[in-house]
Amino acid sequence: MSKPNQQKFALVDCNNFYASCERVFDPKLAREPIVVLSNNDGCVIARSNEAKSLGIKMGTPYYQVKDLIIDKSVVVKSSNYPLYGDMSSRVMKVISQYSPVQEVYSIDESFIDLTGFTINLNTHMQALKNQVKSWTGIPVCVGMGSTKVRAKLANRIAKIYPRFNGVFDIDSLPNDRFKKLLNSVEVAEIWGIGRKSAQKLEQIGINTAFDFYKADIGIIETLLGVNGKRIYRELYGHSCLAIEEIPPARKQIVSSRSFGLDLSDFDEINQALTSLTRRAVSKLNSQSLATTSMSVFIYTNPFKKNTPCINLSKTIGMSAPINDEGLLIPLCSKLLKQIYEPGYKFYKGGVMLGNLTSDKNQQDLFAVGQNRTELKKHPYGNTLRYASELGNDRWLPRAEFQSNRFTTCWGELLIV
Amino acid sequence: MGTVASTLEVYKSQLKSDMEVLKPDFDAPSLSIPIFSSRVQAGFPSPADDHLEDQLDLNKHLIHHQEATFFVRAQGESMLNAGIHPGDILIVDKSLPAKSGKIVIAVVDGEFTVKRLYKYKGKVSLKAENPEFKDIEINEGSELIIWGVVTSVIHQYV
Repeated sequence: MSKPNQQKFALVDCNNFYASCERVFDPKLAREPIVVLSNNDGCVIARSNEAKSLGIKMGTPYYQVKDLIIDKSVVVKSSNYPLYGDMSSRVMKVISQYSPVQEVYSIDESFIDLTGFTINLNTHMQALKNQVKSWTGIPVCVGMGSTKVRAKLANRIAKIYPRFNGVFDIDSLPNDRFKKLLNSVEVAEIWGIGRKSAQKLEQIGINTAFDFYKADIGIIETLLGVNGKRIYRELYGHSCLAIEEIPPARKQIVSSRSFGLDLSDFDEINQALTSLTRRAVSKLNSQSLATTSMSVFIYTNPFKKNTPCINLSKTIGMSAPINDEGLLIPLCSKLLKQIYEPGYKFYKGGVMLGNLTSDKNQQDLFAVGQNRTELKKHPYGNTLRYASELGNDRWLPRAEFQSNRFTTCWGELLIV
Repeated sequence: MGTVASTLEVYKSQLKSDMEVLKPDFDAPSLSIPIFSSRVQAGFPSPADDHLEDQLDLNKHLIHHQEATFFVRAQGESMLNAGIHPGDILIVDKSLPAKSGKIVIAVVDGEFTVKRLYKYKGKVSLKAENPEFKDIEINEGSELIIWGVVTSVIHQYV
Protein backbone atom coordinates (compact mmCIF):
# COMPACT_ATOMS: atom_id res chain seq x y z
CA MET A 1 0.00 0.00 0.00
CA SER A 2 1.33 3.45 -0.82
CA LYS A 3 1.68 6.24 1.71
CA PRO A 4 -0.84 9.08 1.54
CA ASN A 5 0.20 12.02 -0.63
CA GLN A 6 2.80 9.89 -2.35
CA GLN A 7 2.45 9.47 -6.06
CA LYS A 8 2.84 6.09 -7.62
CA PHE A 9 3.58 5.23 -11.21
CA ALA A 10 4.06 1.93 -12.96
CA LEU A 11 5.90 1.31 -16.18
CA VAL A 12 4.69 -1.77 -18.03
CA ASP A 13 7.25 -2.90 -20.58
CA CYS A 14 6.92 -5.86 -22.94
CA ASN A 15 9.82 -8.31 -22.84
CA ASN A 16 11.64 -8.35 -26.20
CA PHE A 17 8.39 -7.24 -27.82
CA TYR A 18 9.03 -7.97 -31.53
CA ALA A 19 10.54 -11.37 -30.80
CA SER A 20 7.65 -12.14 -28.43
CA CYS A 21 5.10 -11.26 -31.14
CA GLU A 22 6.81 -13.71 -33.49
CA ARG A 23 6.70 -16.40 -30.79
CA VAL A 24 2.95 -16.05 -30.19
CA PHE A 25 2.30 -17.28 -33.72
CA ASP A 26 5.20 -19.71 -33.93
CA PRO A 27 5.59 -21.45 -30.56
CA LYS A 28 8.49 -23.52 -31.93
CA LEU A 29 10.56 -20.37 -31.51
CA ALA A 30 9.93 -20.29 -27.74
CA ARG A 31 13.52 -20.97 -26.74
CA GLU A 32 15.29 -20.17 -30.01
CA PRO A 33 17.46 -17.10 -30.50
CA ILE A 34 15.57 -14.60 -32.67
CA VAL A 35 16.63 -11.37 -34.34
CA VAL A 36 14.29 -8.97 -36.11
CA LEU A 37 15.65 -6.83 -38.94
CA SER A 38 14.82 -3.22 -39.76
CA ASN A 39 13.04 -2.11 -42.90
CA ASN A 40 14.73 -3.48 -45.98
CA ASP A 41 16.44 -6.10 -43.83
CA GLY A 42 19.24 -3.69 -43.01
CA CYS A 43 20.07 -3.90 -39.30
CA VAL A 44 19.19 -5.89 -36.21
CA ILE A 45 16.50 -3.92 -34.36
CA ALA A 46 15.25 -6.50 -31.87
CA ARG A 47 16.64 -9.59 -30.23
CA SER A 48 15.37 -12.33 -27.98
CA ASN A 49 17.32 -12.93 -24.76
CA GLU A 50 19.01 -15.93 -26.40
CA ALA A 51 20.22 -13.74 -29.28
CA LYS A 52 21.43 -11.12 -26.80
CA SER A 53 23.55 -13.66 -24.98
CA LEU A 54 25.15 -14.67 -28.27
CA GLY A 55 26.55 -11.14 -28.29
CA ILE A 56 24.47 -9.81 -31.19
CA LYS A 57 24.24 -6.08 -30.61
CA MET A 58 21.36 -3.74 -31.31
CA GLY A 59 21.71 -1.86 -34.60
CA THR A 60 24.34 -4.17 -36.10
CA PRO A 61 24.10 -4.41 -39.90
CA TYR A 62 22.72 -7.80 -40.89
CA TYR A 63 25.64 -8.72 -43.15
CA GLN A 64 28.07 -8.30 -40.24
CA VAL A 65 26.36 -10.96 -38.13
CA LYS A 66 25.20 -13.22 -40.95
CA ASP A 67 27.94 -15.80 -40.33
CA LEU A 68 27.19 -15.93 -36.61
CA ILE A 69 23.48 -16.22 -37.37
CA ILE A 70 24.02 -19.21 -39.65
CA ASP A 71 26.53 -20.77 -37.29
CA LYS A 72 24.24 -20.59 -34.24
CA SER A 73 20.98 -21.20 -36.19
CA VAL A 74 19.54 -17.86 -35.13
CA VAL A 75 16.01 -17.32 -36.43
CA VAL A 76 15.86 -14.19 -38.61
CA LYS A 77 12.64 -12.21 -39.13
CA SER A 78 11.97 -9.13 -41.21
CA SER A 79 10.04 -6.56 -39.22
CA ASN A 80 6.30 -7.10 -39.44
CA TYR A 81 4.82 -3.80 -38.29
CA PRO A 82 1.18 -4.62 -39.07
CA LEU A 83 1.47 -7.54 -36.64
CA TYR A 84 3.47 -5.66 -33.98
CA GLY A 85 1.10 -2.68 -34.15
CA ASP A 86 -1.99 -4.82 -33.68
CA MET A 87 -0.46 -6.81 -30.82
CA SER A 88 0.65 -3.55 -29.20
CA SER A 89 -2.86 -2.11 -29.25
CA ARG A 90 -4.21 -5.30 -27.67
CA VAL A 91 -1.59 -5.14 -24.91
CA MET A 92 -2.26 -1.44 -24.29
CA LYS A 93 -6.02 -2.02 -24.00
CA VAL A 94 -5.55 -4.76 -21.44
CA ILE A 95 -3.17 -2.52 -19.44
CA SER A 96 -5.78 0.25 -19.48
CA GLN A 97 -8.08 -1.93 -17.41
CA TYR A 98 -5.77 -1.47 -14.42
CA SER A 99 -5.72 2.31 -14.07
CA PRO A 100 -7.89 5.22 -15.16
CA VAL A 101 -4.79 7.13 -16.30
CA GLN A 102 -2.56 5.65 -18.98
CA GLU A 103 0.22 6.96 -21.17
CA VAL A 104 1.18 4.81 -24.15
CA TYR A 105 4.85 5.73 -24.18
CA SER A 106 5.99 3.59 -27.10
CA ILE A 107 4.92 0.54 -29.08
CA ASP A 108 5.88 -1.70 -26.16
CA GLU A 109 5.85 0.53 -23.06
CA SER A 110 3.08 2.18 -21.09
CA PHE A 111 3.02 4.26 -17.92
CA ILE A 112 -0.01 4.06 -15.68
CA ASP A 113 -0.86 6.13 -12.62
CA LEU A 114 -1.51 4.16 -9.44
CA THR A 115 -1.61 7.15 -7.07
CA GLY A 116 -4.17 6.80 -4.30
CA PHE A 117 -4.90 3.12 -4.88
CA THR A 118 -5.64 1.50 -1.53
CA ILE A 119 -5.26 -2.08 -2.69
CA ASN A 120 -2.11 -4.18 -2.68
CA LEU A 121 -0.27 -2.85 -5.71
CA ASN A 122 1.97 -5.86 -6.10
CA THR A 123 -1.07 -8.14 -6.40
CA HIS A 124 -2.73 -5.68 -8.77
CA MET A 125 0.32 -5.58 -11.05
CA GLN A 126 0.80 -9.36 -10.91
CA ALA A 127 -2.78 -9.64 -12.12
CA LEU A 128 -2.00 -7.19 -14.94
CA LYS A 129 1.09 -9.15 -15.93
CA ASN A 130 -0.82 -12.44 -15.94
CA GLN A 131 -3.76 -11.04 -17.86
CA VAL A 132 -1.61 -9.52 -20.61
CA LYS A 133 0.21 -12.84 -20.98
CA SER A 134 -2.96 -14.91 -21.01
CA TRP A 135 -4.98 -12.63 -23.31
CA THR A 136 -2.30 -11.72 -25.83
CA GLY A 137 0.57 -14.14 -25.27
CA ILE A 138 3.00 -11.27 -24.69
CA PRO A 139 5.17 -11.37 -21.53
CA VAL A 140 5.58 -8.07 -19.67
CA CYS A 141 7.43 -6.74 -16.64
CA VAL A 142 6.18 -4.01 -14.33
CA GLY A 143 8.28 -1.47 -12.46
CA MET A 144 6.72 0.78 -9.83
CA GLY A 145 8.01 3.94 -8.21
CA SER A 146 6.99 7.32 -6.85
CA THR A 147 8.16 8.96 -10.11
CA LYS A 148 8.40 7.93 -13.75
CA VAL A 149 12.22 7.86 -13.61
CA ARG A 150 12.10 5.53 -10.61
CA ALA A 151 9.42 3.33 -12.20
CA LYS A 152 11.58 2.95 -15.29
CA LEU A 153 14.54 1.94 -13.14
CA ALA A 154 12.33 -0.50 -11.24
CA ASN A 155 11.29 -2.10 -14.50
CA ARG A 156 14.91 -2.85 -15.28
CA ILE A 157 15.23 -4.68 -11.97
CA ALA A 158 12.00 -6.60 -12.58
CA LYS A 159 13.44 -7.77 -15.91
CA ILE A 160 16.87 -8.79 -14.62
CA TYR A 161 15.99 -10.67 -11.41
CA PRO A 162 13.54 -13.57 -11.81
CA ARG A 163 12.87 -13.70 -8.06
CA PHE A 164 10.61 -10.64 -8.31
CA ASN A 165 8.37 -12.55 -10.70
CA GLY A 166 8.19 -9.66 -13.16
CA VAL A 167 6.92 -6.97 -10.75
CA PHE A 168 9.13 -4.70 -8.68
CA ASP A 169 8.44 -1.63 -6.54
CA ILE A 170 11.60 0.41 -6.15
CA ASP A 171 10.15 2.44 -3.26
CA SER A 172 10.18 -0.73 -1.16
CA LEU A 173 13.98 -0.82 -1.32
CA PRO A 174 15.87 0.35 1.81
CA ASN A 175 18.01 3.41 1.14
CA ASP A 176 21.36 1.62 1.26
CA ARG A 177 20.18 -1.04 -1.20
CA PHE A 178 18.79 1.68 -3.46
CA LYS A 179 22.18 3.40 -3.52
CA LYS A 180 23.91 0.11 -4.24
CA LEU A 181 21.54 -0.43 -7.12
CA LEU A 182 22.29 3.03 -8.53
CA ASN A 183 25.97 2.18 -8.41
CA SER A 184 25.41 -0.70 -10.80
CA VAL A 185 23.59 1.45 -13.37
CA GLU A 186 25.40 3.60 -15.91
CA VAL A 187 24.29 7.22 -15.96
CA ALA A 188 23.25 6.91 -19.61
CA GLU A 189 20.75 4.27 -18.59
CA ILE A 190 18.70 6.65 -16.45
CA TRP A 191 15.50 7.47 -18.29
CA GLY A 192 15.76 10.96 -19.82
CA ILE A 193 19.57 11.13 -19.88
CA GLY A 194 20.44 11.10 -23.55
CA ARG A 195 23.77 10.17 -25.07
CA LYS A 196 24.92 13.77 -25.26
CA SER A 197 23.99 14.51 -21.65
CA ALA A 198 25.75 11.33 -20.56
CA GLN A 199 28.93 12.47 -22.36
CA LYS A 200 28.80 15.83 -20.58
CA LEU A 201 28.34 14.10 -17.23
CA GLU A 202 31.14 11.62 -17.85
CA GLN A 203 33.49 14.50 -18.57
CA ILE A 204 33.12 15.68 -14.98
CA GLY A 205 33.40 12.17 -13.59
CA ILE A 206 29.74 11.27 -13.27
CA ASN A 207 29.67 7.74 -14.66
CA THR A 208 27.10 5.83 -12.67
CA ALA A 209 23.56 6.65 -11.63
CA PHE A 210 24.88 6.85 -8.09
CA ASP A 211 27.43 9.52 -9.08
CA PHE A 212 24.53 11.44 -10.58
CA TYR A 213 22.40 10.92 -7.46
CA LYS A 214 24.99 12.30 -5.05
CA ALA A 215 26.07 15.16 -7.33
CA ASP A 216 25.12 18.74 -6.50
CA ILE A 217 21.79 19.76 -8.02
CA GLY A 218 23.27 23.13 -9.06
CA ILE A 219 25.96 21.44 -11.12
CA ILE A 220 23.41 19.19 -12.78
CA GLU A 221 21.23 22.19 -13.65
CA THR A 222 24.17 24.16 -15.04
CA LEU A 223 25.25 21.21 -17.13
CA LEU A 224 21.92 19.81 -18.35
CA GLY A 225 19.44 22.61 -17.79
CA VAL A 226 16.00 22.31 -16.31
CA ASN A 227 15.40 18.87 -17.83
CA GLY A 228 18.42 17.43 -16.07
CA LYS A 229 17.26 19.00 -12.82
CA ARG A 230 13.85 17.36 -13.23
CA ILE A 231 15.38 13.93 -13.72
CA TYR A 232 17.60 14.47 -10.68
CA ARG A 233 14.59 15.39 -8.56
CA GLU A 234 12.62 12.45 -9.96
CA LEU A 235 15.41 10.10 -8.90
CA TYR A 236 14.96 11.44 -5.33
CA GLY A 237 11.25 10.70 -5.52
CA HIS A 238 9.84 14.14 -6.29
CA SER A 239 7.50 13.69 -9.22
CA CYS A 240 8.18 16.30 -11.93
CA LEU A 241 7.11 14.42 -15.04
CA ALA A 242 3.38 13.85 -15.28
CA ILE A 243 1.59 11.15 -17.22
CA GLU A 244 0.92 12.39 -20.75
CA GLU A 245 -2.39 10.88 -21.70
CA ILE A 246 -2.52 12.58 -25.08
CA PRO A 247 0.66 12.27 -27.10
CA PRO A 248 2.07 15.68 -28.07
CA ALA A 249 1.16 16.78 -31.58
CA ARG A 250 3.80 15.96 -34.13
CA LYS A 251 5.82 18.70 -35.72
CA GLN A 252 6.67 16.86 -38.88
CA ILE A 253 5.89 13.65 -40.68
CA VAL A 254 8.63 11.84 -42.55
CA SER A 255 8.01 8.90 -44.82
CA SER A 256 11.18 7.49 -46.29
CA ARG A 257 12.55 4.16 -47.39
CA SER A 258 15.62 2.45 -48.68
CA PHE A 259 14.59 1.07 -52.04
CA GLY A 260 14.73 -2.69 -52.59
CA LEU A 261 17.46 -2.03 -55.14
CA ASP A 262 19.11 1.05 -56.59
CA LEU A 263 16.84 3.01 -58.94
CA SER A 264 17.82 5.34 -61.79
CA ASP A 265 14.65 5.59 -63.85
CA PHE A 266 12.47 8.66 -63.18
CA ASP A 267 9.20 6.75 -63.38
CA GLU A 268 10.36 4.12 -60.95
CA ILE A 269 11.50 6.71 -58.42
CA ASN A 270 8.27 8.63 -58.94
CA GLN A 271 6.32 5.46 -58.23
CA ALA A 272 8.16 4.97 -54.95
CA LEU A 273 7.76 8.58 -53.86
CA THR A 274 4.05 8.67 -54.75
CA SER A 275 3.49 5.70 -52.51
CA LEU A 276 5.55 7.28 -49.71
CA THR A 277 3.63 10.54 -50.06
CA ARG A 278 0.35 8.69 -49.81
CA ARG A 279 1.58 7.06 -46.62
CA ALA A 280 2.67 10.41 -45.18
CA VAL A 281 -0.68 12.01 -46.05
CA SER A 282 -2.61 9.17 -44.49
CA LYS A 283 -0.62 9.75 -41.25
CA LEU A 284 -1.40 13.45 -41.61
CA ASN A 285 -5.11 12.76 -42.00
CA SER A 286 -5.30 10.24 -39.20
CA GLN A 287 -4.06 12.94 -36.82
CA SER A 288 -6.28 15.63 -38.31
CA LEU A 289 -3.31 17.72 -39.36
CA ALA A 290 -2.49 19.82 -42.40
CA THR A 291 0.90 20.81 -43.78
CA THR A 292 2.36 24.03 -45.11
CA SER A 293 5.68 22.70 -46.35
CA MET A 294 6.79 19.69 -48.29
CA SER A 295 10.29 18.36 -48.89
CA VAL A 296 11.26 15.67 -51.33
CA PHE A 297 14.67 14.00 -51.16
CA ILE A 298 16.54 11.24 -52.96
CA TYR A 299 20.12 10.13 -52.52
CA THR A 300 22.68 7.61 -53.59
CA ASN A 301 24.36 5.17 -51.26
CA PRO A 302 27.21 7.08 -49.60
CA PHE A 303 28.94 3.83 -48.59
CA LYS A 304 29.16 2.41 -52.07
CA LYS A 305 32.61 2.94 -53.51
CA ASN A 306 33.41 3.79 -57.13
CA THR A 307 29.97 5.21 -57.92
CA PRO A 308 29.15 8.90 -58.17
CA CYS A 309 27.54 10.17 -55.00
CA ILE A 310 24.72 12.71 -54.93
CA ASN A 311 22.20 13.99 -52.43
CA LEU A 312 19.21 15.85 -53.90
CA SER A 313 16.37 17.59 -52.14
CA LYS A 314 13.95 20.43 -52.48
CA THR A 315 11.44 22.06 -50.16
CA ILE A 316 8.38 24.07 -51.07
CA GLY A 317 6.20 26.21 -48.85
CA MET A 318 2.45 26.66 -49.20
CA SER A 319 0.29 29.71 -48.72
CA ALA A 320 -2.42 27.75 -46.92
CA PRO A 321 -2.36 24.45 -45.01
CA ILE A 322 -3.14 21.42 -47.19
CA ASN A 323 -4.21 17.94 -46.14
CA ASP A 324 -5.49 16.58 -49.45
CA GLU A 325 -3.45 13.87 -51.11
CA GLY A 326 -4.96 14.89 -54.44
CA LEU A 327 -2.94 18.09 -54.15
CA LEU A 328 0.14 16.79 -52.37
CA ILE A 329 0.91 13.87 -54.70
CA PRO A 330 1.20 15.98 -57.89
CA LEU A 331 3.31 18.40 -55.86
CA CYS A 332 5.69 15.59 -54.93
CA SER A 333 6.06 14.60 -58.60
CA LYS A 334 6.65 18.21 -59.54
CA LEU A 335 9.42 18.59 -56.95
CA LEU A 336 10.97 15.31 -57.98
CA LYS A 337 11.01 16.42 -61.61
CA GLN A 338 12.94 19.53 -60.58
CA ILE A 339 15.63 17.71 -58.61
CA TYR A 340 15.94 14.46 -60.56
CA GLU A 341 19.18 13.89 -62.42
CA PRO A 342 19.64 10.90 -64.69
CA GLY A 343 22.68 8.67 -64.49
CA TYR A 344 22.78 8.13 -60.75
CA LYS A 345 21.79 5.07 -58.78
CA PHE A 346 19.45 6.27 -56.04
CA TYR A 347 19.13 3.97 -53.06
CA LYS A 348 16.91 5.94 -50.71
CA GLY A 349 14.22 8.58 -50.95
CA GLY A 350 11.36 10.14 -49.10
CA VAL A 351 9.07 13.04 -48.36
CA MET A 352 8.74 15.24 -45.32
CA LEU A 353 5.66 17.24 -44.41
CA GLY A 354 6.53 20.12 -42.10
CA ASN A 355 4.94 23.04 -40.26
CA LEU A 356 1.99 20.92 -39.28
CA THR A 357 -1.16 22.60 -38.05
CA SER A 358 -4.55 21.34 -37.06
CA ASP A 359 -6.76 20.92 -40.13
CA LYS A 360 -9.76 22.19 -38.18
CA ASN A 361 -9.04 25.86 -38.91
CA GLN A 362 -9.26 25.25 -42.63
CA GLN A 363 -12.27 26.77 -44.31
CA ASP A 364 -12.37 25.08 -47.66
CA LEU A 365 -15.91 25.46 -48.90
CA PHE A 366 -15.23 23.49 -52.02
CA ALA A 367 -13.70 20.54 -50.23
CA VAL A 368 -13.18 17.63 -52.55
CA GLY A 369 -12.02 14.13 -51.91
CA GLN A 370 -14.92 12.86 -49.84
CA ASN A 371 -15.30 9.75 -51.96
CA ARG A 372 -11.62 9.11 -52.03
CA THR A 373 -11.37 9.09 -48.26
CA GLU A 374 -14.19 6.60 -48.01
CA LEU A 375 -12.67 4.26 -50.55
CA LYS A 376 -9.44 4.23 -48.65
CA LYS A 377 -11.20 2.92 -45.59
CA HIS A 378 -12.15 -0.18 -47.54
CA PRO A 379 -11.05 -3.30 -45.66
CA TYR A 380 -8.67 -4.24 -48.42
CA GLY A 381 -6.68 -1.09 -47.81
CA ASN A 382 -4.75 -0.08 -50.86
CA THR A 383 -7.67 -0.46 -53.26
CA LEU A 384 -7.29 2.96 -54.78
CA ARG A 385 -3.87 4.02 -55.89
CA TYR A 386 -2.56 6.87 -57.94
CA ALA A 387 -1.58 6.19 -61.51
CA SER A 388 1.93 7.47 -60.81
CA GLU A 389 2.20 4.82 -58.13
CA LEU A 390 1.65 1.94 -60.53
CA GLY A 391 4.66 0.23 -61.93
CA ASN A 392 6.91 -2.72 -61.37
CA ASP A 393 7.14 -2.27 -57.57
CA ARG A 394 10.88 -2.84 -57.77
CA TRP A 395 11.38 -0.07 -55.22
CA LEU A 396 9.57 -1.96 -52.45
CA PRO A 397 11.92 -2.74 -49.59
CA ARG A 398 13.22 -6.23 -49.07
CA ALA A 399 11.45 -8.25 -46.41
CA GLU A 400 12.63 -11.74 -47.15
CA PHE A 401 11.96 -13.22 -43.74
CA GLN A 402 8.62 -11.66 -42.86
CA SER A 403 6.07 -13.69 -40.95
CA ASN A 404 2.40 -13.46 -41.88
CA ARG A 405 0.22 -10.51 -40.92
CA PHE A 406 -1.72 -12.95 -38.72
CA THR A 407 -4.08 -10.42 -37.17
CA THR A 408 -4.70 -7.86 -39.91
CA CYS A 409 -5.06 -9.78 -43.16
CA TRP A 410 -7.64 -12.49 -43.95
CA GLY A 411 -5.33 -14.18 -46.41
CA GLU A 412 -2.54 -14.56 -43.85
CA LEU A 413 -4.29 -16.07 -40.83
CA LEU A 414 -2.58 -18.61 -38.61
CA ILE A 415 -3.26 -22.08 -40.06
CA VAL A 416 -3.96 -24.91 -37.64
CA MET B 1 -32.32 13.41 -32.48
CA GLY B 2 -30.03 13.52 -29.46
CA THR B 3 -26.52 12.12 -29.38
CA VAL B 4 -24.65 10.35 -26.68
CA ALA B 5 -20.99 10.73 -27.58
CA SER B 6 -19.46 8.32 -25.16
CA THR B 7 -20.88 5.72 -22.91
CA LEU B 8 -19.50 4.69 -19.59
CA GLU B 9 -18.07 1.24 -19.78
CA VAL B 10 -17.15 -1.00 -16.91
CA TYR B 11 -13.81 -2.69 -17.19
CA LYS B 12 -13.32 -5.51 -14.82
CA SER B 13 -9.95 -6.95 -14.09
CA GLN B 14 -10.83 -10.57 -14.26
CA LEU B 15 -7.77 -12.19 -12.85
CA LYS B 16 -7.47 -12.04 -9.10
CA SER B 17 -7.13 -8.29 -8.70
CA ASP B 18 -9.94 -7.04 -6.52
CA MET B 19 -10.13 -3.61 -8.08
CA GLU B 20 -12.44 -2.35 -10.73
CA VAL B 21 -11.54 0.64 -12.87
CA LEU B 22 -14.27 2.77 -14.34
CA LYS B 23 -13.56 4.96 -17.32
CA PRO B 24 -15.37 6.39 -20.30
CA ASP B 25 -15.01 4.48 -23.53
CA PHE B 26 -13.74 7.04 -26.00
CA ASP B 27 -13.96 4.62 -28.91
CA ALA B 28 -17.65 4.05 -28.37
CA PRO B 29 -19.63 4.74 -31.50
CA SER B 30 -21.86 7.74 -31.16
CA LEU B 31 -25.32 6.45 -30.56
CA SER B 32 -28.25 8.30 -32.01
CA ILE B 33 -31.29 8.18 -29.80
CA PRO B 34 -34.53 8.85 -31.57
CA ILE B 35 -36.64 11.32 -29.65
CA PHE B 36 -40.19 12.03 -30.77
CA SER B 37 -39.34 10.65 -34.16
CA SER B 38 -42.96 10.36 -35.20
CA ARG B 39 -45.18 13.35 -35.25
CA VAL B 40 -47.88 13.34 -32.73
CA GLN B 41 -50.74 15.24 -34.14
CA ALA B 42 -51.64 14.05 -37.61
CA GLY B 43 -51.56 11.16 -40.00
CA PHE B 44 -50.78 7.52 -39.40
CA PRO B 45 -47.86 6.93 -37.03
CA SER B 46 -45.40 4.44 -38.47
CA PRO B 47 -46.20 1.09 -36.88
CA ALA B 48 -42.47 0.31 -36.83
CA ASP B 49 -41.69 3.16 -34.45
CA ASP B 50 -42.82 1.14 -31.47
CA HIS B 51 -40.34 -1.59 -32.30
CA LEU B 52 -37.10 0.33 -32.70
CA GLU B 53 -34.19 -1.89 -31.73
CA ASP B 54 -30.44 -2.01 -32.14
CA GLN B 55 -29.10 -3.46 -35.35
CA LEU B 56 -27.49 -6.85 -34.96
CA ASP B 57 -23.73 -6.83 -34.79
CA LEU B 58 -22.00 -10.16 -35.40
CA ASN B 59 -18.82 -8.92 -33.72
CA LYS B 60 -20.71 -8.25 -30.51
CA HIS B 61 -22.42 -11.60 -30.76
CA LEU B 62 -19.30 -13.66 -31.39
CA ILE B 63 -16.47 -11.74 -29.70
CA HIS B 64 -16.53 -11.23 -25.96
CA HIS B 65 -12.92 -10.35 -25.26
CA GLN B 66 -11.77 -8.25 -28.19
CA GLU B 67 -8.12 -7.97 -27.14
CA ALA B 68 -7.85 -11.73 -26.62
CA THR B 69 -9.66 -12.85 -29.76
CA PHE B 70 -7.81 -14.12 -32.83
CA PHE B 71 -8.96 -15.63 -36.10
CA VAL B 72 -7.34 -18.85 -37.19
CA ARG B 73 -7.86 -20.84 -40.39
CA ALA B 74 -8.46 -24.58 -40.04
CA GLN B 75 -6.81 -27.16 -42.24
CA GLY B 76 -7.28 -30.93 -42.34
CA GLU B 77 -10.32 -33.04 -41.54
CA SER B 78 -9.64 -34.26 -38.01
CA MET B 79 -12.46 -32.16 -36.57
CA LEU B 80 -15.11 -32.72 -39.27
CA ASN B 81 -17.67 -34.14 -36.85
CA ALA B 82 -17.37 -31.04 -34.69
CA GLY B 83 -18.33 -29.00 -37.75
CA ILE B 84 -14.84 -27.76 -38.56
CA HIS B 85 -14.06 -28.12 -42.26
CA PRO B 86 -10.80 -27.38 -44.04
CA GLY B 87 -10.60 -23.65 -44.78
CA ASP B 88 -13.06 -22.62 -42.06
CA ILE B 89 -12.24 -19.64 -39.89
CA LEU B 90 -12.11 -20.35 -36.18
CA ILE B 91 -12.76 -17.65 -33.60
CA VAL B 92 -10.30 -18.22 -30.79
CA ASP B 93 -10.45 -16.60 -27.37
CA LYS B 94 -7.15 -16.74 -25.51
CA SER B 95 -8.63 -15.44 -22.27
CA LEU B 96 -10.93 -18.41 -21.57
CA PRO B 97 -9.88 -21.21 -19.21
CA ALA B 98 -9.06 -24.49 -20.96
CA LYS B 99 -11.75 -26.69 -19.48
CA SER B 100 -12.18 -30.34 -20.32
CA GLY B 101 -14.54 -30.82 -23.25
CA LYS B 102 -13.69 -27.52 -24.97
CA ILE B 103 -12.35 -27.37 -28.48
CA VAL B 104 -8.92 -25.79 -28.19
CA ILE B 105 -6.00 -24.61 -30.22
CA ALA B 106 -3.19 -26.59 -28.64
CA VAL B 107 0.54 -26.51 -29.12
CA VAL B 108 2.09 -29.97 -28.78
CA ASP B 109 5.87 -29.92 -28.85
CA GLY B 110 5.83 -26.67 -30.79
CA GLU B 111 3.20 -27.73 -33.37
CA PHE B 112 -0.29 -26.21 -33.59
CA THR B 113 -3.34 -28.43 -33.65
CA VAL B 114 -7.08 -28.02 -33.09
CA LYS B 115 -8.68 -30.80 -31.02
CA ARG B 116 -11.13 -31.39 -28.21
CA LEU B 117 -9.42 -31.28 -24.82
CA TYR B 118 -10.04 -34.05 -22.30
CA LYS B 119 -8.78 -34.08 -18.76
CA TYR B 120 -9.57 -37.20 -16.79
CA LYS B 121 -7.94 -38.51 -13.59
CA GLY B 122 -4.82 -36.50 -14.13
CA LYS B 123 -4.46 -37.60 -17.75
CA VAL B 124 -4.71 -35.15 -20.58
CA SER B 125 -5.59 -36.01 -24.15
CA LEU B 126 -6.55 -34.23 -27.34
CA LYS B 127 -9.38 -35.96 -29.15
CA ALA B 128 -10.04 -35.76 -32.86
CA GLU B 129 -13.66 -35.54 -33.99
CA ASN B 130 -13.26 -37.93 -36.90
CA PRO B 131 -12.83 -41.72 -36.44
CA GLU B 132 -10.14 -41.77 -39.10
CA PHE B 133 -7.84 -39.73 -36.90
CA LYS B 134 -5.97 -40.81 -33.79
CA ASP B 135 -6.29 -39.01 -30.49
CA ILE B 136 -3.17 -37.45 -29.05
CA GLU B 137 -2.25 -38.62 -25.55
CA ILE B 138 -0.08 -36.19 -23.71
CA ASN B 139 2.62 -38.23 -22.04
CA GLU B 140 5.38 -37.20 -19.74
CA GLY B 141 8.14 -35.59 -21.71
CA SER B 142 5.92 -33.96 -24.28
CA GLU B 143 4.91 -30.36 -23.83
CA LEU B 144 1.33 -29.14 -24.15
CA ILE B 145 0.33 -25.49 -24.25
CA ILE B 146 -3.29 -24.46 -24.66
CA TRP B 147 -3.05 -21.45 -26.98
CA GLY B 148 -6.72 -20.57 -26.92
CA VAL B 149 -10.29 -21.84 -26.79
CA VAL B 150 -12.32 -22.07 -30.02
CA THR B 151 -15.62 -20.28 -29.45
CA SER B 152 -17.13 -20.42 -32.95
CA VAL B 153 -16.45 -21.63 -36.44
CA ILE B 154 -17.26 -19.68 -39.57
CA HIS B 155 -18.05 -21.92 -42.51
CA GLN B 156 -18.82 -20.01 -45.68
CA TYR B 157 -20.87 -21.71 -48.40
CA VAL B 158 -20.57 -19.02 -51.03
